[in-house]
Amino acid sequence: MASLPYRDNTSRPSNYGRGDDDDEDEEEEEADESGYKSSKDAVLFAIDVSESMLTKPTGGDDKKSDTTLSPTLAALKCAYALMQQRIMSNPSDMMGILLFGTEKSKFQEGDQETGRGGLRYPHCYILTDLDVPAAADVKQLRSMVEEEEEAADLLVASKEEVSMANLLFCANQIFTTKAPNFSTRRLFLVTDNDFPHASNRDARNSAAVRAKDLYDLGVTIELFPISHPDRGYTFDRSKFYNDIVYSASPSDPDAPAPLTADIKPASSTAKDGISLLQALLSSVASRSAPRRSMFSHMPFEIGPGLKISVKGFILIKRQEPKRTSYIYVPPDSDKPQIVTGVGQLVADDTARTVEKAEVRRAYKFGGETVSFSDAELAKIKHFGDPVIRIIGFKPLSMLPIWAQLKQNYFIYPSEEDFVGSTRVFSALHQKLLRDQRMAIAWFIARRNANPTLVALIPGREQRSDEGEQIMPPGLWIKHLPFADDIRAPPDTEVVKAPDPLIDAMRTVVQQLQLPKAVYDPGKYPNPGLQWFYRILQALALEEDLPEKAEDKTLPKWKQIHKRAGPYVVEWGKVLEEQYRVWQKDNDRQPRINANGGAKRAGGAAPTASSGRSAKKVKADDGGDGGEAGITDAEMRAAFAKDAVGKFTVADLKAWMQGKGIKAGTKKAEIVDAVNGWHETKMEID
Amino acid sequence: MASKEATVYIVDCGSTMSERSHGRKQTNLDFALEYVWDRITATVATGRKTAMVGVVGLRTDGTRNDLEGEEDYAHITVFQDISQMLMSQVRKLRNDLVLSSTEGGDAISAIIVAIQMIAKECKKLKYERKIVLVTDARGPMQTDDLGDIITKLKEDDIQLVVIGVDFDDAEYGFKEESKDATKAENEAGLKQLCNDCGGAFGTLVQAVDELGIPRVKSTKPVPSYKGFLTLGNPELYESAMAIDIERYPKVMAATTPSASKYVVRSDMGDATQSNMTMNGEDGQNGSYDGLAAVKNAMTYQVEDTNAPGGKRDVDRDELSKGYEYGRTAVHIAESDRNVTTYETTPGLDVIGFVDKNQYERYLDMSRSNLIIAQRNNEKASMALSSFIHALYELDSYGVARLVPKENKEPRTILLAPIIEPDFECLYDIELPFAEDMRSYKFPPLDRVVTVSGKEIEVHRNLPNDDLQDAISDYVDSMDLSTFGKDDEGASTEYMPMDETYAPMLHRIHQVIKHRAVFADAEPPPPYEILTRYSHTPDELVRKAQPALDRVLEAANIKRVPHKARGRRGRKEAPKPLSELDIGALLAQDPKRKHKRIDPKNAIAEFRQLIIQAEEDSAVRDACTQLKNIVFEWIRHSVGNSGYGRALEAIRVLREEMVDLETPAIYNEIMQELRTKLLAGDLGEGRGEMRYHVVTKKLGLIKASDLPGGATDDEVSKWRAAG
Repeated sequence: MASLPYRDNTSRPSNYGRGDDDDEDEEEEEADESGYKSSKDAVLFAIDVSESMLTKPTGGDDKKSDTTLSPTLAALKCAYALMQQRIMSNPSDMMGILLFGTEKSKFQEGDQETGRGGLRYPHCYILTDLDVPAAADVKQLRSMVEEEEEAADLLVASKEEVSMANLLFCANQIFTTKAPNFSTRRLFLVTDNDFPHASNRDARNSAAVRAKDLYDLGVTIELFPISHPDRGYTFDRSKFYNDIVYSASPSDPDAPAPLTADIKPASSTAKDGISLLQALLSSVASRSAPRRSMFSHMPFEIGPGLKISVKGFILIKRQEPKRTSYIYVPPDSDKPQIVTGVGQLVADDTARTVEKAEVRRAYKFGGETVSFSDAELAKIKHFGDPVIRIIGFKPLSMLPIWAQLKQNYFIYPSEEDFVGSTRVFSALHQKLLRDQRMAIAWFIARRNANPTLVALIPGREQRSDEGEQIMPPGLWIKHLPFADDIRAPPDTEVVKAPDPLIDAMRTVVQQLQLPKAVYDPGKYPNPGLQWFYRILQALALEEDLPEKAEDKTLPKWKQIHKRAGPYVVEWGKVLEEQYRVWQKDNDRQPRINANGGAKRAGGAAPTASSGRSAKKVKADDGGDGGEAGITDAEMRAAFAKDAVGKFTVADLKAWMQGKGIKAGTKKAEIVDAVNGWHETKMEID
Repeated sequence: MASKEATVYIVDCGSTMSERSHGRKQTNLDFALEYVWDRITATVATGRKTAMVGVVGLRTDGTRNDLEGEEDYAHITVFQDISQMLMSQVRKLRNDLVLSSTEGGDAISAIIVAIQMIAKECKKLKYERKIVLVTDARGPMQTDDLGDIITKLKEDDIQLVVIGVDFDDAEYGFKEESKDATKAENEAGLKQLCNDCGGAFGTLVQAVDELGIPRVKSTKPVPSYKGFLTLGNPELYESAMAIDIERYPKVMAATTPSASKYVVRSDMGDATQSNMTMNGEDGQNGSYDGLAAVKNAMTYQVEDTNAPGGKRDVDRDELSKGYEYGRTAVHIAESDRNVTTYETTPGLDVIGFVDKNQYERYLDMSRSNLIIAQRNNEKASMALSSFIHALYELDSYGVARLVPKENKEPRTILLAPIIEPDFECLYDIELPFAEDMRSYKFPPLDRVVTVSGKEIEVHRNLPNDDLQDAISDYVDSMDLSTFGKDDEGASTEYMPMDETYAPMLHRIHQVIKHRAVFADAEPPPPYEILTRYSHTPDELVRKAQPALDRVLEAANIKRVPHKARGRRGRKEAPKPLSELDIGALLAQDPKRKHKRIDPKNAIAEFRQLIIQAEEDSAVRDACTQLKNIVFEWIRHSVGNSGYGRALEAIRVLREEMVDLETPAIYNEIMQELRTKLLAGDLGEGRGEMRYHVVTKKLGLIKASDLPGGATDDEVSKWRAAG
């Protein structure tokens, strides 16, 4: 058939120019995860607006405004936070907010004309329609949670009890019409009422039936129950909610059962200083992204004839800022529009449209191309079917720290293909943990994917002090570099530090241990990413731009100075002494300008107080040149004589790198940049 | 950047090269060419203009060289002067390097010709000069006065490599019995020559053998950061430490060549026949091979309610840059482009230290780098050394904040000390940030926790003691840490990383090089070493077999029969946590008694009807109902508004029919859908709907996937538009 230039109507044009989404092309290996993530998620928040949900908790601390929020408002704030987060991290995912138990009713805009909305789903009020959020949605929600008057009008509890069956069907209709064919659809239900329709069994049964409809539609209900310890009320899910919540997500029948112990009812009062909002946020955070497997039905061959099945996940992945996209600003309006890009294959010579079937693959070689038929190429690239096959075992100590090529995958057993997978996996996992060993395996992630060698390292389950799982138990797939991927270090001579100097440094290191002597990623938000998010949000919502970024990765200078300062100064003195001794022993003349060396520790270095320019003096002035590249002094001299151009491009680039100077690729541009840098430096100095 | 290279290959084409020695199937010339072509195509593959090659035929029928006036230089033909090698030359040389009918031609003279060629091309410039002679050493050779040649080779720094057909090589373990006397004499002469000029001398069998061991491309180290390693802030405090350091990549994935997209040029009548005959002087942009590159031409659209179809094309020039904030477009003017950049200054600052033994290796992100002191800065080297040793002695790692270049985003990295006899450095690896951690939860593996919170130790998902013991023995018996053998035969680590080669990378290189020379031949099988590590070595398997047998017995693994996954009747209706009998409630529901699917709740009710269905007719009826609903959705769709629902229903229908193994019902419906869409029965302009059905794997269920499915012919007919 003719290839039509249509795109998936539900897909957002976030991947411009990357060609056809439907291209099942396994050619470019590094496309990697993108293929698995084409699936999208839709989350609908359903928030209970009853009298008790609108009641502020007693004993809240007025200074901490979070603790005085009513449960409904806390839930709204939580939804607001999630919306802000998802708009950045999951740009093509949908979100909506449905209030229930309200005096007012609203389903769809159109319904208000016919007046049917109120009749169909009484006491259900769609605050934000299920869609990819727009700036306006965020603004609306913000005014709800930040300005009480806005909320007061809407947040009025209905006198009459809302029908749970109706609520669930309302959600059903929203998902059916707004998010058809989404891979995951979830209803986040926030309530403190564990027993709706307490006296009406039929009404409860109808709700159970509507819940089954949602299940069959592929919608998961995630319950966020709230208890009120100040009123002696504890949410009991067995009264009603266990009839409408199913154990696993229907689209993933093999997902491990939810850790029910982890989903404790949140407390409406600030227990142990944790407000309801914080509790909800952490609860939502743990479920904010649907768990998507990167591969499933993966045969895990532990030995010849010993095969089980596993699923693979990406638990740690670098979150990158968004890429820019094309925007259209109509001449007659200042409202920019999103642009959809449509790719079409054309021949380079005649610009005629090319059918996919005509396309041939060829490699550039010697100024021409070398081509293979698809069948040949498939055969060439075939190293066997997807598998994780253990070749043998080694102690973990044989895995050097540098053996790291790309992000790790996590695997967990699945009973889907082989009954007994879990117990075998568990035995292996325990053995590897106990003996600190790793498996070495041959790994083909997908059909015709590049085969790789990997280490399977055991990961221990980790729980927080509150008992919440922080890191699940399982095996991690670590890609090992091949000989081709390992780079040789540059030639260099090492001057080994003498013992007194090492001793001095050891004291320094001992002063500056991080809490619990571990790196906790949770304590370090990505400062560049956060800044990007804040700016983009400010632009989108027409807020004032923030002045200064918060950067938790900046070392705590003052603490370091206080705790380690004296020891560093001491170390500096030892270095000076030892270096002099070394020079003498090795018959090296003290350099004319010895301060330019390694470090400038405190009072030990004579130029320490002379400010910034001294610090910039780097390599040994008048040093042996050559390998060390151009020294600052040489460059300064060359600049003075207008002779920067005498250096080679490679040397200039090396010199510039340390200065953070940017320039194009042409020599003239580079020389200009270096000259420019010196000109500004002169002014400062 | 790699330095310039000039290599001259001297290939012996003499009539004696037509022999097939030592039971080899190919002639000695073909055997020699296997080596020569591999080397030449490896050079072509680099695509470097500065990697130049010359080719000289020795003992050729004709004579063509700069010294051809002299008798000593007869039967030596310069087939290619030193230049970059391209495909057209490869093709030409394929026709040049053929067996001659002469035995005349002196190899030493050929070396002199090659020396001259190099001198002429390279003059006194910086080049890596090399001459490779491949011969059976059975031609006449004047080996008496080689002094001048040796001096010249040394003077010009030319490396001479002589590779002989069936030369003796004690080290490699090859000795030719009853060697021809001339050959023995020549062989000795050439060997002496190589020894005297510091060249290499080897036997062809070894050279060809070693082609199967991939060559690793070495890359000149380029620093990824140069500057200070600081502890404390030197701008604020006098107590701060700053060491001049340089950072280089330690691991960097080598890139596998990727194929580009091409189509047969429309102006080529018959592309295939012209391949070999065209003399590639005039063509450009890949036209020798009759292919034109394929490009992805983008067109851009914006929503416009007034335009037909709701979308309007906009020109590329009318667009500007910005970001998407949800479904809101945020425009950023050219002048404000930097507004989203987090301004940083380069630096590597220690944040603190952590315990090595508590560090979890799975946190490692990205590839590793290494950090050494600024080169030729002894004081910095000594200072860094104290840092490295202190970390090492304290079993600690450093955590630092790295900004490699101005305005690059900061990263947190781990600093790990390594101390070797002559080398010390810090290895660094990026650490994750808070945003990078996805909190997926999985049940524990060493215990089962029930809904009531009780912990169970005996459960089908938990290994019993037998299985634990067996696995433990198995893991121990499959130990690789001492399975390897080093050069002296002592036990060592098996498959260390520097002896493993990227299979796809070398496989693709191998077949490209092969195809470039032998356009019509089948690609060769992969080198043994590329698949060597895809299986446990047999010896180890034998050793581990008893333990493995015990694991198999204790594990009692059962493959889930493929068909049993979802057959009718066997599938249990899912139940909520309370195990409430929803089926009974559904059956009582007055709205569902008549088994009429409500279009509003179509998918759920369809699934419910299917699971309740006891007869085929009930299944068929449910499908027909759903089909009619889908057709209505398409018919009443405004633009593409109804397509999503329709596609979802079709997907569900397909899933259920595959589960029930009744492909015919689905295929009939899809045939009807095709007919209706093409005939416009479901409204005009439904091409997009058809496109989705075809591309989203919703096509006919194939017989190859499920018995009773459609034939390949039916499938392709169904896909076709006409």
